[in-house]
Formats: sequence, C-alpha cells, structure tokens
Amino acid sequence: MERQSNRLAVLLTPALILAIVIVSAYGYFAYSSLFAKGPMGSGFAGTITFENYTRVLASASNRSVLFTTLYASVVMSVLTIAIAVPMAMVIVRAKRQWVANLIMLAIAVTFLSGGVTRAYSWLILLGNKGLFNLALTELGMIERPLKLLYNWLGVGIAIVHYLLPFAVFTLVGAVRNLNPSVEEAARSLGASRSVTFWRVTMPMLLPGLMVTLTLIFSIALASFLFPMLLGGGKVRMIANQIYDRMFVDYDIPYAAATSVVFLVSAFVAIWLMTLLSKQVKRLNER
Amino acid sequence: MRRDLEAKFGPVVILLATFATIFLLLPVIFVVLHSFSPTRYFQWPPTEFTLKWHQDFYTSTMFMEAARNSLVMALIVTPLSLVIGVPASYALVRGTFPGKALIQQVILSPLIIPGVVTGVSLLSLYSAGGLRIGMFGLCLGMLIFALPFAVRAISANLIGIDPRVEEAARSLGAGPLRTFFVVVVPQLKSGVLAASVFIFVEAVDNFSIAVFLSNDQTRVLPVAAYQYIKDFDDPTVAAMATALIVLSVVLVMLLEKLIGFQKSLRL
Repeated sequence: MERQSNRLAVLLTPALILAIVIVSAYGYFAYSSLFAKGPMGSGFAGTITFENYTRVLASASNRSVLFTTLYASVVMSVLTIAIAVPMAMVIVRAKRQWVANLIMLAIAVTFLSGGVTRAYSWLILLGNKGLFNLALTELGMIERPLKLLYNWLGVGIAIVHYLLPFAVFTLVGAVRNLNPSVEEAARSLGASRSVTFWRVTMPMLLPGLMVTLTLIFSIALASFLFPMLLGGGKVRMIANQIYDRMFVDYDIPYAAATSVVFLVSAFVAIWLMTLLSKQVKRLNER
Repeated sequence: MRRDLEAKFGPVVILLATFATIFLLLPVIFVVLHSFSPTRYFQWPPTEFTLKWHQDFYTSTMFMEAARNSLVMALIVTPLSLVIGVPASYALVRGTFPGKALIQQVILSPLIIPGVVTGVSLLSLYSAGGLRIGMFGLCLGMLIFALPFAVRAISANLIGIDPRVEEAARSLGAGPLRTFFVVVVPQLKSGVLAASVFIFVEAVDNFSIAVFLSNDQTRVLPVAAYQYIKDFDDPTVAAMATALIVLSVVLVMLLEKLIGFQKSLRL
C-alpha cells in the first residue's frame, strides 16, 4: 500500500508542479483584483479594497458587454447546433461510407487549419469587395455592398463556423446512440418525415443536444480573436474587454476584477445549462 | 415508397448537410485560392495566378522567425505534455487516493477557463516572480494549456483498456515499471498519436495565451499573422494559411493511415 502510493506520487509529480503553477497564476491574479493599480511598472499596491468590483459592476458599458457576451454566445451556440444536427445525422446514417468520410474529412481539415487562418479568410470573404457582396451584386440582388464586417453578423458567422466542428464531433456520439427502429416504427405507422423528426428523433436527441450546447457555449464565451479581428472595435466580447484593461489601460487589478466577474457569470450560466440538461434527461427517461 | 421508408433521413437533411459542408469548407478552400490571387481583394473570375505572396511569406524575416519560434515551441511542448500527461493519466485513472478529483479538476482547468484569463494570469504571475517573457515562459504557458488535452485523450484511452491484463502481468512477476512500459504503453498508441497531432496543432494555432506570453523575439505565427493583418492586409497571410492547411491535411492523412480517423476522434 505504502509502495503503491509512492509510485502514484512519482507519476503525478510533474503534472502537479504544472497544476501548482496554474493555480498560483489564477490565484495571484484574482488576489490582485482586491488592490488599486500600482505606479507604472508594478502590478498593484495599497490596501485591500473592493473598488475594482464596484467599478466593473457600476459601468454600463461593462454590464452591456457582459450581457451581450452571454446572450450572443447562447444565440450562436443554438444556431451552430441547428447546422450541426443534419451533418451528424448524415455522418452516422449515410448508406455510403464515403459520404460520411468526406464530411468527417472536411470537418477535420477545417478544425485543424486553425483560428487565425479562418479569421483571415472571413475577413476577405465578408468584405465590401468579398465573395458574398460580389456574388449578390452580380446577381442583381443588392445595389450597394452589404455591411458584413465589423458588426455582429460577421463575428457571428466566424464564431458559428469555429464552433461547428466541436458540435458535430459531440453530436455524432449522440446520434449513434439513437435507436433507429423507434423512428422506423413511427414512419411505418404513417407519421411523415418531419413529424417523425420533431416528435420522435428530437426528443430522443435532446439530452445529447444539451450536452453539446453547454460545451460549445463555453467555447463561444471565450471568443477573443474573432471579435478582435472581425469586430473592428465595434463588436466587443468580454475577453476583448479584459485584453484592453491590460494592454490599453495597463490596469492589472481592473483586468483581474473584470475576469473574476466574467468567470463567475460564465460558471453560473454553464451551471444553469447543466441543471437544465439534467432536467431534460430525467424527463426523457420517464 | 418502401425504399423511402427505409431511408434513415430525407432529402431535406441531405440538402442541409450539403449546405453545412459547403459553409464549413468555404473559408478553407477560399483562403488557398486567395493566396494565388494577384490582387489583395477578391476577384472573380481570377485573371492571373501568382506565387508572389508565397514568395513573400517564405522570404519574410518576421514570418520565418515566427514560424521557427512556433515550431520550436510546439516540438518542445508536444512530447513534454505527453511525457507528463501519460503517467499522470495513469495515476488518475488507475489509482485511488485522497484529493484525486480535485487534482484532476485543477489539471483540466485551462480547458474551462478562457484562454485570455489563463494568459493574463500567467503573465502577471511571471512579472511578479521576475520571470522575463521569453521562450521558457512561452513554453511553460503552452505546456499548461496542452496538458489537459493530453490527460483527456490518454485517460479516455486508458478507461478503454482492461486492467486485468496489467494484473496478469504483475502476477506473472513483471515489476510495475516493466508492466507500465511493456503492457500499458503499447496499448496507448492510438491515444498518444491522436493527442500528439491535436496538441501540436493547438500549440501552433493558439493565439489567446500566446499573445500575452510572447514578445518581439519570441513572436509566434498567429501573433505575427494578427499584427500583419492589422498593418498591411495583403494575401501574405493567405500564403501562411495555405501552409498551415497543407500541414493539417498531411496530419489528418497520417492519422487515418496510422489509427483510422474515426477512431482517433472518439478520444
């Protein structure tokens, strides 16, 4: 017994050292939120104060960025799931294996090609002279180019695109666990395809959808690069706010307080989602 | 009619999935095409074909230094995160000890906490501890960021392995070290391969932590690309993107060849 625990300690030690570094980093950063901004070059100084928190919560712009981040993340996650469900169904159920493989390959290559690559691509695609505006003008559908960049539309498209591979990967497992004979029974009893989908498939899939929603919601909340590059300063999410406190205002304690408020609200939101998905699962099992 | 009933989904699903796949691939294919475009804006039909941006990318000192930094960092972080992650996962999956759940949570915490917060926190810890921003700090930060991916993939792999094989090896007289390397490690092949590819790509692609932990000397590719897009905005970044996409296609094919792609996704 003694020897076993020694062995475990040896196996875990390197990982524990890294864990201690990250806990100290998070802890020290959170601790700094309780002080005033120090003189140039130093992090923070003075005595313990909650002033940074009152500053974060009292500012209307902070509150609106926080609310928008949470709200937009929910909307983008739901949209992503709507796009991901048909893909996951085709991947799992396609009769021809190459169709499934092709979609999987598309997802994998997109996923591994990275965030900066995709942000840059959307920047060109959605611009005033980009593919979309050119195509729509050519087709005579619009006269002046649509504003697709530097607003929520462009940032939203890029973030949904970023979330899509995560959503499909997670949903594939959920769709694979569905029992297709239940749907076949509904169909053979005369239910149409859409009735079967909404009344039979969706309720069975709902727990899986909730798990996926929670996962991609937490990824969406952390968006940083897309609003920074495609938002042109007009679309701000909370991560951008934290970055600016740090590198524009050089105010570490204020950045820290903003982060703490952000994390607390993110955890509450994710906790509520988990609660909801547990409820859904329970209802489903009944 | 009969055939229609047997089909597992209808034409609407096929249509939607097709659109979704086009949406997914559009920016990836487009950026590759754009890297050969003679103009900095999108043009249709393409008039000419140029290698200028690729040439610019491969001869740019800033991009080549950034590529070297990214490569060095990823080549340090990927094996190290596995060397640390494999034993840790083994202890976490097979062992029972007090505080196990807490330790697991802490190791995995950078997965849940947004990268910006992790980046700023590490930066302020470094400056409090007098550690100047450099290759060491960058690699340490990326290692902390990469470890959860390794632990998650290896743990999933370990859970799927029957512990009785290890017990059999032990009762036949193999020592714990020998059992670990001869019995456990070979069975972790697929987990280790999938995790390596994933960690390598994530380390090269990471922006939100790297932007805080790199400076002009240790600038990595995503940060260089971001600065370039802000200042110049020409398709040189598309050439960089093409290089990264080619790399990811090669890695996906490698995974497919070695362990089967679908299998590696389940980890």
